[in-house]
Amino acid sequence: MTGMADAAEVTHATDAEVFAALPAVLIDRDNVEHYRGLLARRLLINRCAACGYWVYPHRPLCPKCWSWDVVPTQVSGDGFVFLCTLVHQERDPDAAPGEPVSTAAVELVEQPGLRYLAPVVNCPPDRVRLDMPVRLTWVDRDGVAWPAFQPSGPIEGGR
Amino acid sequence: MARNPLKDQLAVVGVGSTPYGRDLKRTELSLALEAATAAVEDAGLDRQEIDGICGTGMDPLAMGGSGFLTLQGALGIEKTTWQKNGWLGSCFVYAAEAVFSGLCDTVLVVQAYTRGIGMSRSAAADPFRLRSAQLRAAGGHTIVGQSDPARRWIHSGEPYAAWMARYLHDYGATKDVFARIAVNNRTHATTNPRAAMRTPITMEDYHASRVIWEPMQMLDMDVPVDCGEALIITTAERARDLRHSPVYIHAMSLGGSRVGEYYDNSLGWTENALWISLAGLRERSDLTIDDLDLFFPYDGYTIDTVGCIEAAGFCKPGETADLLASGWDAEANIYRLGGHTLVSTNGGALSHGRAGGFNFYTEAVRQLRGTEGERQVPDARTALVCAGASFFHDPASVMLRTD
Repeated sequence: MTGMADAAEVTHATDAEVFAALPAVLIDRDNVEHYRGLLARRLLINRCAACGYWVYPHRPLCPKCWSWDVVPTQVSGDGFVFLCTLVHQERDPDAAPGEPVSTAAVELVEQPGLRYLAPVVNCPPDRVRLDMPVRLTWVDRDGVAWPAFQPSGPIEGGR
Repeated sequence: MARNPLKDQLAVVGVGSTPYGRDLKRTELSLALEAATAAVEDAGLDRQEIDGICGTGMDPLAMGGSGFLTLQGALGIEKTTWQKNGWLGSCFVYAAEAVFSGLCDTVLVVQAYTRGIGMSRSAAADPFRLRSAQLRAAGGHTIVGQSDPARRWIHSGEPYAAWMARYLHDYGATKDVFARIAVNNRTHATTNPRAAMRTPITMEDYHASRVIWEPMQMLDMDVPVDCGEALIITTAERARDLRHSPVYIHAMSLGGSRVGEYYDNSLGWTENALWISLAGLRERSDLTIDDLDLFFPYDGYTIDTVGCIEAAGFCKPGETADLLASGWDAEANIYRLGGHTLVSTNGGALSHGRAGGFNFYTEAVRQLRGTEGERQVPDARTALVCAGASFFHDPASVMLRTD
């Protein structure tokens, strides 16, 4: 946690508060704990209590062992950039052209292939490199703190 | 008498059901998974024996409900060669015909329903049902991603752009591999009177085109058009009595991978559904790529074509750049695979236009009939069509041939 985001932090939001804070998100009974966690600046991913497999995207059933005992569990926040694109043009045709924004699939250290989609911040977009180690931080968007990742080691020169 | 060749050929071997209730406080997916796991356990099957899935709904891209894309991953089923969504009584029939046809051997059909907000006052007061209804798209399922601030990568360009970067990074290729695909397809389109884009382009034009989602550029992307395509399929016996020389469906395969819903969590480059589809085709086809005259790889984005070329076995993973460079005809501005096979002779989706790949089928049929005059490929007898072969949803591989 860097303190850079000013968004409100709620330690344990009610369902109604989660719905109100995130009006455009598909919140359902399988992922509500993840979004409740975001409001408390905790990145929670469902984990199977029976076999330890991290279940993401969020499902009620472990796809490895078919246990229903799937528990939202906080991850370390460490990972590396596995996929990244610089968005030069938004899909919204009315969006004003701006600086390219990085959107990365960050592979978390907890499990191979366990990836979370978020922007890379505190790094010039043209210095974001695949396999670069990163660490979780939080950015303010529409009054809510959202997960982002920043380099956890030295930033290398342009690619 | 109507034909009934499947008489006594099929059986139901497992069933599973959930409790019914007015408010079970569960997602549609959760109910679907309970029924599905129960049916598999009832049948005494290893879940990996399931190689076909019919999920719930009418939209193959449906996400957030219990469509096949979600079910396969949620159930941990590694590979399927037939997938569909359906509803009402017809989904049973689709599944049966898939088994009868040989497209799969063991099919799981899953249907789940939940009480919608229009069905009762108490349902309308449930914030979970309300949110689902607000973000529900045509087709009966909720589409997540576009409206989600988390910006999950679904079936759209951004993750393909990211995979282009990963491909270049992992295999040390340059963007010339994508440029050659764009130029080849445009060159073929210049002779196709139906094509939307008929002005020739060069490699330099490709590299100079506008960047959209780095490293993807404008000329990596197909051309949205208004168009119509149709074809008719009948039995081979009947076809032989009709006007044109028959074009036979020699073999077909679909493909589904365990992770196939969100691109950020996708499996490796050689593990996605496209590769399963083409492996499934090889297992069903007496013809190989060595016999191939025409190849129609999907080209919604140029990276799709790279995947099709490698998954079809023209080269090893990561070697497409060398393959296209060695097969490049600088005079004609096209490439051939294996020194012979012509690719995307209509111009593909990149230059003929985006028809979901259906224009690949009609072009292949015309070329195999030999009716294309000045643009006819001499002696074309075999064609492999990979239409709509995205990384995950509906990557169909179809081998067509003439006598």
